[in-house]
Amino acid sequence: MKKEHASFNPYDNNGGTCVAIAGADYCVIAADTRMSSGYNILTRDYSKVCKLADKCLLASSGFQADVKALQKVLGARHLIYQHQHNKQMSCPAMAQLLSNTLYYKRFFPYYAFNVLGGLDDEGKGVVYTYDAVGSYEKVGYSSQGSGSTLIMPFLDNQLKSPSPLLLPPQDAVTPLSEAEAVDLVKTTFVSAAERDIYTGDKLEIVILNADGIRREYMDLRKD
Amino acid sequence: MSIFEYNGSALVAMVGKNCFAIASDRRLGVQLQTIATDFQRIHKIHDRLFLGLSGLGTDTQTLYQRLVFRHKLYQLREERDMKPETFASLVSAILYEKRFGPYFCQPVIAGLSDEDKPFICTMDSIGAKELAKDFVVAGTAGESLYGACEAMFKPDMEPEELFETISQALLSSVDRDCLSGWGGHVYVV
Amino acid sequence: MENSGGFSFDLCKRNGWLVEKGIVKPPSFTKTGTTIVGLVFQDGVILGADTRATAGSIVCDKNCEKIHYMAPNIYCCGAGTAADTEAVTDMVSSQLQLHRYHTGRESRVITALTLLKKHLFGYQGYVSAALVLGGVDCTGPHLHTIYPHGSTDTLPFATMGSGSLAAMSVFESKYKEGLTRDEGIKIVTEAICAGIFNDLGSGSNVDVCVLTKGHKEYLRNNLMPNPRTYVSAKGYSFSKKTEVLMTKVTPLKERVEVIEAGDAMEE
Repeated sequence: MKKEHASFNPYDNNGGTCVAIAGADYCVIAADTRMSSGYNILTRDYSKVCKLADKCLLASSGFQADVKALQKVLGARHLIYQHQHNKQMSCPAMAQLLSNTLYYKRFFPYYAFNVLGGLDDEGKGVVYTYDAVGSYEKVGYSSQGSGSTLIMPFLDNQLKSPSPLLLPPQDAVTPLSEAEAVDLVKTTFVSAAERDIYTGDKLEIVILNADGIRREYMDLRKD
Repeated sequence: MSIFEYNGSALVAMVGKNCFAIASDRRLGVQLQTIATDFQRIHKIHDRLFLGLSGLGTDTQTLYQRLVFRHKLYQLREERDMKPETFASLVSAILYEKRFGPYFCQPVIAGLSDEDKPFICTMDSIGAKELAKDFVVAGTAGESLYGACEAMFKPDMEPEELFETISQALLSSVDRDCLSGWGGHVYVV
Repeated sequence: MENSGGFSFDLCKRNGWLVEKGIVKPPSFTKTGTTIVGLVFQDGVILGADTRATAGSIVCDKNCEKIHYMAPNIYCCGAGTAADTEAVTDMVSSQLQLHRYHTGRESRVITALTLLKKHLFGYQGYVSAALVLGGVDCTGPHLHTIYPHGSTDTLPFATMGSGSLAAMSVFESKYKEGLTRDEGIKIVTEAICAGIFNDLGSGSNVDVCVLTKGHKEYLRNNLMPNPRTYVSAKGYSFSKKTEVLMTKVTPLKERVEVIEAGDAMEE
């Protein structure tokens, strides 16, 4: 059959890169702040990191409209949870909720690539990494978005985690101190910004530990 | 799928202090199936000049044969080896000749010039030369290699450190690429 | 089979077959998703370019040269497929050199323009080079733009490439007739910077070339506005050394010193 009209494409890719690293008593979640479309920069100051609960942060790249919609749904579900249980959702619970929310739209997915970072019930860092339709895995570190292929090999090299198939299960958290992890995140983003055109402008690093949430900013390439 | 991803490959060259290193993986596959685990992608043109060819296996071998032929003719006529810069121009010209029906092949050239100054260079499949002072990459693991090299590379490395850096970059990159792997060959000159 | 010159089409059938069979999609090449500009000032022409070459969303060269030599008094900025801009400018510059040997006169910009547009028109846009050609000859300063299909423009200020709109916004608001050299360089640099910062296809450094009567000045990396923003203070280390399976050491052959023996023979 001949096509009568140009098809409408509901998706765009707004670029950007996210990284999360889990440590023994902290979790570092970072993302650049550039939002772009095609060869254009839409804004240089757009935060990709969203606080979902007291000990749970979500960093997402992909299609900004879908990311916003997803964050809104999660926020609403978390509010209902708080009313019903009179407490904040734990990070593993939020991880499962995010997976379910993504899979709910299996055949018209949210075009969002997520990493969820936080602290578990014992105060240990955890990172969950996702695909667009809700397949997820608990890991020690992860990267998502346009620069993830550039960042992942270096994280592997520096933080190689034990195989998830080992018995008894090994801890996936990284051996680095908090300061070392922040330093590593900076190095990886500077490298990615050199080669990936969709990564740049500014780096937002959010550090979650027993004291609460701390934010750091660093300049990246602006071209 | 792109034809460059049919056989899979990873190639990288780095510059050190009065030396260079060129490294490749050893896998030859047909899409996701591995055919050989000892494939040679890096070829010696002469003592101080190496050529790495990534991309479609059949084209890399054809191109290699043509280049060796042209280099031998040059040696006979000029009674000397080609300079790396000259060789790069030759490769570029041969590739651009087939602008509208290219070899599916991305070469990496690394050599030492007369004053032992290192020279590295890569091209796209139609011969657009890209000269770099630090490192060049090619193949299906190219993106991963860019990330790894960008983070690991330091200027003016001695041969031992250069070997370690290029090996680590190669190994961690091919681990994130399904189409390349099975260890690597590293040449340090 | 060695070709005597020109393009060779013998792989076209096979490559077409591969695409037709649906085994693969046609390949992509290195592009210079570029910002290139040029303007005429009171005593000549100034050309400018950024230095980024991209392949898709990856930067494959952070510091490439996009202002190509055509003749001692003529230079040309190239945007589009990197191999095409490089090849087409090289070919025409060699034709100009031969023409100079033949006539013993300085090349004219119009000659370069005609050679370029003839080549590009002949290939009906398949050789995708978008050029800004500038030079000063016996008839004064000239600036032209050439589109991939072979059409040309003659302008007092021109921009090309993916960053052309960003750069043009600077020219449209700041260009006037009779600029001095320093004013000209400033506006060109500003226009390229507009492309570098606002267009993702352009980036890294600014190259400028100033051409005046009987003189040229190539300011490579005139401005470097994008240094690395962070270098880790303590560096990094490899946790595990590479496992070496086999080592083979091949000593390099000693180079033979060629000694000029001309005098000895005569004795």
